[in-house]
Amino acid sequence: MGEIKVDARGMACPGPISALIRAYRKANNGDTIEVLATDPGFKPDVQAWVKRTGNELVELTEEGGVIKAVIKVTAKK
Amino acid sequence: MAKGLGIVMFSGTADKFIPLGVLTQTAANLGVPVKIFVTGFALLYFTKKKPEPRFPKEFEDFVPKIHEGLERVNAPSWYDMLKDAKDIGDVKVYVCSLMAEVVGVKKEDLDPIVDDVVGATFFMQETGDYELIFI
Repeated sequence: MGEIKVDARGMACPGPISALIRAYRKANNGDTIEVLATDPGFKPDVQAWVKRTGNELVELTEEGGVIKAVIKVTAKK
Repeated sequence: MAKGLGIVMFSGTADKFIPLGVLTQTAANLGVPVKIFVTGFALLYFTKKKPEPRFPKEFEDFVPKIHEGLERVNAPSWYDMLKDAKDIGDVKVYVCSLMAEVVGVKKEDLDPIVDDVVGATFFMQETGDYELIFI
């Protein structure tokens, strides 16, 4: 059960989702991926990505302009 | 969601390349296959000797603000977005054979990002069940 951290702060849309996918490729079911992003579109985008892929969004918060999303990888085949 | 996204890239102005990059990369992120048909004025940007991107004249007063903004938000170039999308997902770039002939561009003149030179029939057949957009 690994924990992967992705720092996508300063990246413009759709960069943070691409950064998440690069981490997701290396992840296994049971791992968590934490993404930090400042792109204001990231909040709805990460929710859409989770809906599309069927992984689990454990946490989605925003503080001081930084959005933090924690995803539990559950949908890898 | 559609089975895939087909994009006919016709315009040759810099502003139109931004949505090309963003839409392609987004589709790739979502696992949606993308097929791009490059034709019209866009073709020269897919050659090894790419011209300098130019913005349309009627918006030239916006250009400095757009340049400054793109730099501020660290937006990658359309080319890097396309390269990234090809790396992440199933993205194919086809050049229109008619337009290639018209402007005298041969296969060996094309940028490596291009997968093939094809006719409109091939593209239409390949994207028959895709959403199709024209840029």
